[in-house]
Amino acid sequence: MSSDAIAVQVHGLSRSFGANQAVAGVDLTITPGMIFGLLGPDGAGKSTLIKLLATVLTPDNGDGLIFGKSIKHAPGQIIPRIGYMSQNFSMYPELSVAENLNFFATIRGVGRTERRRRAAQLMSAMGLREFADRRARYLSGGMKQKLMLAATLMHKPDLLLLDEPTTGVDPVSRREFWRILAGLHRDGKTVLVATPYMDEAERCAHLAFLSSGRISYQGSPADIKVLVPGTLFELTTPEPRAVLAAIAGTPGVRSAHLYGDVVRVLWSGDGSAAEQLKSQLLATGLPVTAIRPTRVDMEAAFAFLTESERSVEVGQP
Amino acid sequence: MKAALIRVAAVAGKEFKHLLRDPRALATVLMLPVLQLLLFAYAISFDVKNVPTVVLDQDNTPASRQYLQTYRSSEFFDVLGSADDLSQVDQLFDQNTVRIAVIVPSGFARSLASGEKAQVAVLTDGSEPTSAQLGQAYATALNAGYGQRVVTEWADRQGFDLSQAGAIEPRLRTWYNPEGKSSNFLIPGLMVVIIMIVTVQQTAVTLVREREQGTGEQMTVSPLRRGELMVGKLLPWTLLAFADMLVIALVGIWVFDLPLRGSIGFLAASSVVFVFAALGLGLIISAVAPSLETANIVGLLIAFLPAFLLSGFAFPLESIPTPLQWLSYAFPGRYMVDISRGVFLKGAGFAELWPQLAALAGYALVVLVASSLLYRRRSA
Repeated sequence: MSSDAIAVQVHGLSRSFGANQAVAGVDLTITPGMIFGLLGPDGAGKSTLIKLLATVLTPDNGDGLIFGKSIKHAPGQIIPRIGYMSQNFSMYPELSVAENLNFFATIRGVGRTERRRRAAQLMSAMGLREFADRRARYLSGGMKQKLMLAATLMHKPDLLLLDEPTTGVDPVSRREFWRILAGLHRDGKTVLVATPYMDEAERCAHLAFLSSGRISYQGSPADIKVLVPGTLFELTTPEPRAVLAAIAGTPGVRSAHLYGDVVRVLWSGDGSAAEQLKSQLLATGLPVTAIRPTRVDMEAAFAFLTESERSVEVGQP
Repeated sequence: MKAALIRVAAVAGKEFKHLLRDPRALATVLMLPVLQLLLFAYAISFDVKNVPTVVLDQDNTPASRQYLQTYRSSEFFDVLGSADDLSQVDQLFDQNTVRIAVIVPSGFARSLASGEKAQVAVLTDGSEPTSAQLGQAYATALNAGYGQRVVTEWADRQGFDLSQAGAIEPRLRTWYNPEGKSSNFLIPGLMVVIIMIVTVQQTAVTLVREREQGTGEQMTVSPLRRGELMVGKLLPWTLLAFADMLVIALVGIWVFDLPLRGSIGFLAASSVVFVFAALGLGLIISAVAPSLETANIVGLLIAFLPAFLLSGFAFPLESIPTPLQWLSYAFPGRYMVDISRGVFLKGAGFAELWPQLAALAGYALVVLVASSLLYRRRSA
C-alpha cells in the first residue's frame, strides 16, 4: 500500500470522557491535497476527533492511519508530518513572535539555519514581520491565530489539523487567514479544518457534518445543500420572535430559524407554494411585510441538519 | 542524543526567558531567600539575652546590694529597676514589663555573715518557657558563683584551702558549637528550608501552566520526550537555587560568623542533588494538580510544613512522634540538613555523609521519573 495515497483514513474511531462519548465510531477518508471541513454544533466532538488525529489523545476504540501510520501504534512517525493548531491560543504569552516560532521549531527538530529562514519567510507571508519582537500576549486575536498557524508550519508538515482556527477573529483577518490556507492548498498540503462558520465551510472541497460524535453527512458543499428538502423562505417582520413562535411546528414547516432580523422558514414543497405559506401566516394574525424565497446556503443547511438530527433521526438519503 | 540535548536546551532557554520576564518571580527567587534568612536567623533565636528583670531589695544592706549588682552586670539580665513591694512586682509581671524578678528578703546579710545558706527568691514568667527555663538556670548559676565566692571568703577566713578540699566543678562543653550560638545551629538548616520553599513553589506551577496555556499540548505534538521536558525545566531553577544557596552561605559566614569547616566541594555537589530532588517534588505536584491554585497551595504546604517540622532544622527529629519521623524520610529536607550541618559545623565530608547524599540522589531520580510518568497519565 502506498502510504501517501491517502492522507487520513479513520475507521471506527471512538473516545469517551467518563460517560460522555465524544467521538463514537467515526469513519473518515481524506485524500492528499484536499481542504476538508469538519462541521457540527458545539460539543459534537470536533475537537476530540482532531486531537485523536493529532495523537494528543489516544482512542478507546478504532484506529486511524495518517499517511499509512497508525495513530495508536506509531504516533512518533506521524508527529513529524502533521501540524496541529488547537482551538485555544497555545503559544507562550511572554515570548515574542519570533521566540515562539523558534522554540516550537527547535523542539520539532528544525535546524538553526532552517529555523531562521522559515521564520522570516512565514512571518513576512503572514504579515507578522513587523511584530517579530512583540510578545505574544500583546497580539490581536487575528495575529495570535496567524502566529499559531506559522508555528504549525515551521517544520513543513504535510497534513494540517486546524481546530476552529478563526474563532473570535475579525472578518478581515478571517479572509486573510483563508487566503493563506488557499496558498497551502496550492502547495499540496492536506488541511483538515473544523469551523463553526458556514461561509468558511463553503470554501472546503469536502465536508463532514459531525453530530453527537458521529458523522451524519459527508460530501461537497453542493452535496450537503442538496440534502435540504423543500424551499427556503425569508420572512421580514417587525415581530420576528412572535412569528417564529407562531409558525414553528405547523404543518408544512420543516424548520424555522431566526437569521438576524428575518425568520427563515424551510417549507415543504416548491417555490409555488409561497401562497400556502402566506395564508398560513395570515391566520396567525401577525404582521409580515415580505416573503422571499431564497437560495439554500450552508447556514440554512447547517441549521436544518442540526435540527433534524436532534428531533428525528433522519437517515442519509 | 544530540537532538535530545538540543531539545532540553530549548526548554531550559525558554524557562530562563520566562523567569527574566517575570519580575515578581525573579524577585521572589533572588531576594526572598536572603530576606527569609535574615528574618529567620534574627527572629528564631534560641539565645536568650537581656531578659527584662526587676529587683526587690528587702534587706537593703551592702551585701544585698552587692549581690544584686551581679545581676545588673550580667548580659543575660536587663535590670530595669527596683520594685518597692511585692504587689508592684506582680503588677510588672501582669503588664509584661518584666520576665524575671529577683527578691532579696530581709535577713540576707545576716545569714551570709553567720555562714548560713541565704535565701533568695527568683520569680520567672512561665508563660514564656524558654526565657523562664534559661532564667532559672542562669540565676542558679549566678547564685552558685556568688555562693562559692561567699564560701571561698568564709573558707579562707577559716584557714581552709579550697583547692585541696576537692570541690567538684562540673565542666559542660557543647561540641561543634562551643559558643552555643543558635545561629550556628540554625543557618545550615535554614538554608535547606529556604531552598525548599523557593524551589518547590516555583516548579509546582510550571507544568500546570503549560497545560492551561495549551502549550503542553503543542509539546506532545513534537518529538520532545517528557523526561527531556522535566530536565529542561529543572536546569534553570537548579542554577538559580544553587546561586541562592551560595548567597545564603555567604551571608551566614559574613553576617553571622557561621564557620565552614568541611569540604565546600562536597557541600556544592550535595546542594545540586538536593535542589534537583526538591524541584522534582514540585514537578510531581505540578503533574497531578488540576489547577494553578491547587498547585500553589499544595506547593506551599509541601514546601513549608515538612521543611519546617520534618527537616530537623530547628526541632530535633528524635523528639517528634515516631510516625512523623518515618514521614520525614519522604522529604528531601532531612538529608540535606544533616549534610549542611555536618559540613558547616562538624567539618564532615563524603566519608561521613555519603549515605545522606545517596538518599538524596535516589530521591531525585524517583521524583523525576514519577513526575514524568504522572504527567503523561494526565495528558492522554
